[in-house]
Amino acid sequence: MPSRSFLLKMLSLAIVFGAWEIAGRVPVSYAFPTFLESMRALALLAIDGTLFTAYAETLRPLALGVLISAILGIALGLWIGLSARFDWLFSPIFVVMQSAPLAALIPLLVMAYGIGLTSKVFVVCIMAMPVIVLNTASAVRNTPSSLTEMARSFLGSRLDVILKVIIPAASPVIFSGLRLGISAGFIGAILSELKITPTGVGDIITYSRSIADYASMYAAIFSIILLAVLFLNLLEKLELHLFRGNNRGYVTD
Amino acid sequence: MTLLLRTMTAVCAAVLLAGGLSVSDARADKIRIALAETPSDELAAFFVALDRARANGLEYEWTAFSDEELAIQAVLSGQMDIGFGTPYAAMQKSKAPIRIIFQLSKLKFFPVTSKKYGKLEDLDGQPIMLHSRGGGTDSIANVIEEKVGIKFGTRSYVPGSANRVVALVAGQTDATIVDLSNKNKLMKQHGDKFNVLPMFEVDASDEALFGNLDWIKANEKDVEIFVKALLSVYRDMAKDPTIIRRETNPDGPIGQLPKEILDELDAFYTDAVEGGLYDPDGGGRKAALADMDWYSRAGQLTGDPSALAIEDFWYLKPLDAAQ
Repeated sequence: MPSRSFLLKMLSLAIVFGAWEIAGRVPVSYAFPTFLESMRALALLAIDGTLFTAYAETLRPLALGVLISAILGIALGLWIGLSARFDWLFSPIFVVMQSAPLAALIPLLVMAYGIGLTSKVFVVCIMAMPVIVLNTASAVRNTPSSLTEMARSFLGSRLDVILKVIIPAASPVIFSGLRLGISAGFIGAILSELKITPTGVGDIITYSRSIADYASMYAAIFSIILLAVLFLNLLEKLELHLFRGNNRGYVTD
Repeated sequence: MTLLLRTMTAVCAAVLLAGGLSVSDARADKIRIALAETPSDELAAFFVALDRARANGLEYEWTAFSDEELAIQAVLSGQMDIGFGTPYAAMQKSKAPIRIIFQLSKLKFFPVTSKKYGKLEDLDGQPIMLHSRGGGTDSIANVIEEKVGIKFGTRSYVPGSANRVVALVAGQTDATIVDLSNKNKLMKQHGDKFNVLPMFEVDASDEALFGNLDWIKANEKDVEIFVKALLSVYRDMAKDPTIIRRETNPDGPIGQLPKEILDELDAFYTDAVEGGLYDPDGGGRKAALADMDWYSRAGQLTGDPSALAIEDFWYLKPLDAAQ
């Protein structure tokens, strides 16, 4: 007997896809395919291998950007959270990065770094890093002082306090920052492929649009959303594995 | 709390309703034109035609989209009445009753290369830089391959002729395909370093005016005024390209462009008319046949080209009436 929450999730999927199918059949627009047409196009893209070659291309800037943002972002966030001076120096940069209209800045990035991989990795990082840094910093700053005081009264060294108290206490918020950051990174990867040079999944989207194969276009968009959701679930599993006490019921699935 | 919620719902409903009403109001009065780019020198002739149409009683409003595909989709979904572009694939694949009514410009693009190459045959197996996969220059490359019997090497994509010229000058590519004005600019500045490869004549459309057939039939009079104005501008321009600069409304979107651009208008349109960019007859059957042949070769249209019917792509009545 499947659990109730599983059934509810299936129900919500059925409602969303059902609404999509109906909207496609009405049709809302001649350029809007039905859910089944899109799934057929997705299967065709997968069978002839186009989808996988495209992802091999798209995942490069995405994986690099997300990796850089995660490692550098958490490190910077920890530092910012621990040192008031560093906070004063670096927080504003990330606040600006977070609120900057990225699509408008892409021409500047292209001017500075060309049209290759570097620019795309930059776009992913600009999207992903600020959330990660700012969440980590505020989590670290808001560690309950009773916990750090306790650690110190047990004669814990500064390193002990950071590794055994601050990071575990901050981990739920750090991970929620990571989740937000990584989903922003997915957006950045596609944005860069649509705005800089069309490669990978961005190429499937623009190409199918230009030959009016709207089912394939929506199939490509659907596939990237699916990938992002799967990845975020994986991340949640990782979090539960690393910090067992963090299970507070997330909404991802 | 409930009261607050109720008030908010009521306000939302009222705003939506008012919004809906004002939209349907605007629909009745003005025709909505979807431009595929922001107003630039290339659109000056179009705006002159719009001014002439307005003098004959046509009410319009225009919205500039950032690319052609968005303009096509806006027309497909009924948010815009008339759009810019060559939506052949959309006309064949989606069930939308979209038809072209006027050819705005021809696909006049030029293969330019470094001195390494002297003719199209030399490009066999060589990398080439194009606008976008499935776009106009991509289709030109496909047809070159077919007609000349060569196969290009890797195709890389950089949107915008001006950007491709920059890449060519910077040595990032040795071969690309650019539009008339960028080819002229490039050859004027660096004529000694690059070649323009001789190419066959192309009559197919680059930009055409299209709309939803039901809408066109329901607004036959407005469409006729518009097509007539366009045709008169194209004919006058063919005789004297400088009328565009003279007739440009100084308070209109083109008149507001920087002086440097306005000063170039005469040269731009003289070159364009000389280069055959504009058909003084607005395309019509000749353009429709050329387009069907071209876009079939280019892979945008599928099926046997001889089985395609003009009526499935063009609605010729307004143009015929204006001739």
